[in-house]
Amino acid sequence: MPEPLIEVDALTKEYRVHERAPGVVAALASVLRRKYKIARAVDALSFSIGAGERVGFLGPNGAGKTTTLKVLSGLLHPTSGTVRVAGFDPRRREHPFLRNITLVMGQKQQLLWDLPPADTFILNRAIYDLPEREYQETLGELTELLERGDLAERPTRQLSLGERMKCELVAALLHRPKVLFLDEPTIGLDVSMQVTLRDFIRRYNERFGATVLLTSHYMDDVTALCPRVIVIDKGRLTYDGDLQALAHRVRPHKRVRVRREDGREETVDVPQSELKARVTQLLAERGIADLTVEDPPLEEVMRELFMEKRTTT
Amino acid sequence: MRRYLRLFAVQLRASIELALQYRVDFFVGGAMALFWLFWNLVPMVVVWGRRPTIAGWGFWEALLVVAWFTLLRGVLEGAVQPSLVQVVEHIRKGTLDFVLIKPADAQFLVSTARFEPWRGLDSLGAIALAVYALHRLGRVPAPGEVAIALLLTIAACALLYAFAILVVSAAFWVVRLDNLIYLFNSVFDAGRWPSTVFQGAWRVLFTFVVPLALMTTYPPLALLGRLKVSTAIAGLAGAVAFVTMARLIWLRAIGHYTSASS
Repeated sequence: MPEPLIEVDALTKEYRVHERAPGVVAALASVLRRKYKIARAVDALSFSIGAGERVGFLGPNGAGKTTTLKVLSGLLHPTSGTVRVAGFDPRRREHPFLRNITLVMGQKQQLLWDLPPADTFILNRAIYDLPEREYQETLGELTELLERGDLAERPTRQLSLGERMKCELVAALLHRPKVLFLDEPTIGLDVSMQVTLRDFIRRYNERFGATVLLTSHYMDDVTALCPRVIVIDKGRLTYDGDLQALAHRVRPHKRVRVRREDGREETVDVPQSELKARVTQLLAERGIADLTVEDPPLEEVMRELFMEKRTTT
Repeated sequence: MRRYLRLFAVQLRASIELALQYRVDFFVGGAMALFWLFWNLVPMVVVWGRRPTIAGWGFWEALLVVAWFTLLRGVLEGAVQPSLVQVVEHIRKGTLDFVLIKPADAQFLVSTARFEPWRGLDSLGAIALAVYALHRLGRVPAPGEVAIALLLTIAACALLYAFAILVVSAAFWVVRLDNLIYLFNSVFDAGRWPSTVFQGAWRVLFTFVVPLALMTTYPPLALLGRLKVSTAIAGLAGAVAFVTMARLIWLRAIGHYTSASS
């Protein structure tokens, strides 16, 4: 494994949240006397990621993914534990550290709303103090990778969500960061746009050797991009390793689909050990038009993983 | 330093582009700026129309104060408040994160985010008013007096900015800021009157708590040759202290934001 670029050791992040019962009386009482409860968003989380890796960060809503990304990018301070990214302590937010990272949030945008994206690019160029030649070169390369065309000339508010997201990525990558934190970068996009962005992220990773940590609700993103996944639930590490191995562990079945000549379709889940025998048997039957063997969709794997976790704890 | 100057130029350019983007807004903006310039004169014309002097201030002397009030209101509404409104938006929408992960001073980035170029007309109008008032008074200020007035004006701009930073810092704890901005604007409005017009607690308030006296009364006094040097120095020192305090509170507020938000 290459030298770790991101190291997280026993990271815990707690929030103090104000809680009260519903209703006016309770609201009034809470003004006078506040009750606080400690919510633990991340709980003794440890992992490390090597330079150039693409890692998927998975977990149900509220698992602590975004909190972890924010700690890694220096926006939140850990309650305890240590974090190092590219040799820096993110919480200090030193400029050399910030020059090395980028954060893309699918739900939030940094583009100036009323001006064309090109203006945001120029602003970022000034902020990162990029020499003109390097800036033009990177912009050209990113534009080419994204097949972005002349989107940058129209005001951001006139662009579609997908077009906007493309420009968000360009704005976030102009300084050629070594570490990419991507929080739901494809959210709300149609399938073909998801594919475009996915390809782009992979190509950026390959061309610049950047490290990518990605959260997504679309399992296809993860399957297509991330050989390795880190799964957390309720702030705790549930799984860290190869994506395929995880699928096999949780769902040791293969899914066999059969289409008969009369048009009927059947799907059966077959344990790995019985697969050969079962397929042979099916093929020997009459009237089979088509037969495919596939892994169960990752969505199902994840659902099962979290269910399993819930019932055992 | 050069980098920040360039950054400032880029931000300013974006604001100008924005002002030019909507044609109707562009013309309305210009017309409004002119309107405010004249509207500022109405209260004093009404008040001085009935008596020749108030607390020792004649009409043309008071007009100098109005000129400084106009100038500073242009700075406040043209350069300080627009950015302030943007930060509050950032905090509400959570997009301040994008500002905080940039390798540049966050306070600089947020406070130069937006300008209203039209308010530059206020400054031009203010200078014209001041020149005309001095002409009517038949007074040509000595170079030293002009220098002191300039220094005090720079201090006044810095004070306005520091106030804005304090308001923004408050936004990290309190979400609704409209009232705070409204309150500040109402208080600032008292700056159109010479500070010695106010008495007792009001004068203390406008001299030390919200230093309107320094902003709009001291520079005209300097031009009229009636400001004591010691008062000018005390005013400048106060401004430096105030700006430093605002910076410290801002840094604390950012610390609070990063450790508390989700």
